[in-house]
Amino acid sequence: MSEGGEMAPNGGAEPSRELYTVPFSSSWFQWGEIHETEKRALPEFFEGVSTTKNPRVYKEYRDFIINKYREDTSKRLTFTEVRKALIGDVSLLQKLFSFLEKWGLINFSASVKPSQRQNQTVETKVLVEEGTPPGLRVILAPTQVVQQGKALGEKKLIGGENGLKLPPLTSYSDIYGEWDPRKGSLCGLCGEQCLDEHYKKMEDGLKICLKCLKSNNSDKEETTENKPAPAPVSVPSLAWTDSETLLLLEGVLKHGDDWDLIAQHVRTRNKNECIARLIQLPFGEHIVGLTNGKSVPRLPLAQSKPVEVELSKEPIENNGDVSELGRPSEEPPSKKSRVASYVSATESLIKQVALLSAVSGPHVTAAAADAAITELCNESFHAREAFDKSKSEVERKFTLSNQEPPSNLDAEGDQQKIVPEETETPSPSDESEKEFITTSFQIRAAVATAIGATAARAKLLADHEEREMELLMATIIEAQMRKIQYKMKHFSELEAMMDQEYDLLQQQKKSLVREWVDLLRQAFHTGVPRWKDNQCSPKAIDN
Amino acid sequence: MKSFAGSTSKAASIKFRMPTRESLIPIRLDLDVDGHRYKDAFTWNPDDPDSEVLTFAKRTVKDLKLPPTFVTQISQSIQSQLAEFRSYGGQDMYIREKIVPLKVDLRVNNTVIRDSFLWDISNFESDPEEFARTLCNDLDVADPEVAPAIAVSIREQLFEIAAQSVSAVREAKLGKKGRRTYDLSKGGNNALDVSKYFGSKGSGVIRKRKDWYMNGPTVDILSNEEVGTLDELNSRLKRKLDEKEDSF
Repeated sequence: MSEGGEMAPNGGAEPSRELYTVPFSSSWFQWGEIHETEKRALPEFFEGVSTTKNPRVYKEYRDFIINKYREDTSKRLTFTEVRKALIGDVSLLQKLFSFLEKWGLINFSASVKPSQRQNQTVETKVLVEEGTPPGLRVILAPTQVVQQGKALGEKKLIGGENGLKLPPLTSYSDIYGEWDPRKGSLCGLCGEQCLDEHYKKMEDGLKICLKCLKSNNSDKEETTENKPAPAPVSVPSLAWTDSETLLLLEGVLKHGDDWDLIAQHVRTRNKNECIARLIQLPFGEHIVGLTNGKSVPRLPLAQSKPVEVELSKEPIENNGDVSELGRPSEEPPSKKSRVASYVSATESLIKQVALLSAVSGPHVTAAAADAAITELCNESFHAREAFDKSKSEVERKFTLSNQEPPSNLDAEGDQQKIVPEETETPSPSDESEKEFITTSFQIRAAVATAIGATAARAKLLADHEEREMELLMATIIEAQMRKIQYKMKHFSELEAMMDQEYDLLQQQKKSLVREWVDLLRQAFHTGVPRWKDNQCSPKAIDN
Repeated sequence: MKSFAGSTSKAASIKFRMPTRESLIPIRLDLDVDGHRYKDAFTWNPDDPDSEVLTFAKRTVKDLKLPPTFVTQISQSIQSQLAEFRSYGGQDMYIREKIVPLKVDLRVNNTVIRDSFLWDISNFESDPEEFARTLCNDLDVADPEVAPAIAVSIREQLFEIAAQSVSAVREAKLGKKGRRTYDLSKGGNNALDVSKYFGSKGSGVIRKRKDWYMNGPTVDILSNEEVGTLDELNSRLKRKLDEKEDSF
């Protein structure tokens, strides 16, 4: 089985494209048209004799099913799920569904059922030989790490439901840390094990194997997607020259935010690089804000401290790759989690922390904050140092508003996250390292706060909901009981009526028989004609 | 890949058969002899020789350790249901594209399953067994008896609809001259108009989100006590009915 990537536009006119993996054999698929293969496999829709089966209906069915699957590519889409939403003959729908599944247009990268999982190793080999396929990542990950990655991924999901975007650096650092000693050097991009001397160490501490480095330098869309803001320093060949920057600025002024035209204007750069460069310019945000009408989310801190920006790049890479490495190879993570930028996440994190701690109340947050800091200090010597150093600053923040203190209700979950990560962050100088460590601990504290506050809030909500549910349940049961009682009453009334009726009938029957007997007796008395003897049946006389 | 019979969606009249790929007919048994109750449902191939019925009945009685009186009871019941099916045989069945809503509401051992979906009875390629299997797989229904029960339930409904379309043709032939128009307007008496489902406007084939729950399956697993009470209620109901019949 050979696999290849296909770029499919995301429906809208938006220049952003999303990457989905389909089998190479299904590359005939196009959103806009219906291919011969489809017509052959499902001729019902193309005979043109039926009102409910026509190409338009077919396309709607097909597009709906594929879109539904792509909402979450890691989840297996079932037919039962799909037919709920579609009107039409289920037999036909099932045929269509299995057709799409057979061609890998749906459920291709979804988790395979356990029985099929044995093929994993075989697939791995094939893929490694092909180099680095754009859509698939294959790793020789120990099972333990896989499980951890899954668990952490779930945690992240829970956070996401509350609208909270956690920067994944703390949650994934431990996985990465575990790897290094055991496996030797791993490529930060493709996750494969790098042979000696066959990798290049980036300045931000990330190792990239030669294969990836090559593909990184060539303008692959895949790479640029994974790195929304490629650092000019880390990849020297990507550095912008002054003339290029000038061209870029000219282009921006001339074409506004039409990035295709701007990229054409610059010529030597593609669209994404232009955007990234403009944002990195000191006034770039300003220009983008002017042209777009909305400012690009970016942490002001990052502007003022370039060292930190460089260091914080590493988690971006780590995040993208570790999250992938942590999963089985058949399920690349869905797009959204991969693109999440660390910088914007940090900003929104701080906002969320403020919001959440406001929600859960100052006392809870304060108490939780102490717990978090103690935990952090117990965890590592560096943390204690960092907090001692920045204590005055932190305290000032605490007193300014009760919104900064980290809270931690879930000490265990926190411990997992607070495995030290600074062991593999080389930095240019000692000072900036310390500064970074301090910042990173603050960020962790903020993460802990967020989790704690969320947990507190969730607990409250859950309790409330539970009470509500109990109340409603009681009401329902009461109503049902009353209904049943009414019914029983009704039935017993009916029964009584029936009984009365029955008695009446019996009486009537009796009186009828009596009359008959009287009549017969009278007849005897008055003298019976001979022929009447036959009619006096013994039965009548018995009565 | 099998080629699809192109004529099915036209308004053609066909000799009577089950509107599915395999012409299996549903058989349902509910017998009560000497205090023993025997309930079962399965499909039967009407082309099988009738001697099979007796063999089947004997085998069943032996396997389930039922009293021997059941042999005749079972074979009679199957024979009568086969006879009912065959009484339609050779008659014209008027089939045009007809999408009918089917409902499933079953309790099999401890599993209660309710579902509703649309079925095209002119699609002679349909496969209720396959559908039921997929449904149970997707819902992770563990009990292996559920899928066959769903399939039988679907077949029963299809059989009923097919039988109705036979009588529709018969009525139409007996009726006035304009039978063609009669067929077209009233051919599908219990089939709701297809265009009612397919909205006249553009995106008709996708349901509104709020309607999803009505068209999806629900599964409940009952505890053993609940099953016990339900069984008792059923048998009591049946006994009461019997008593009433006896008293009059």
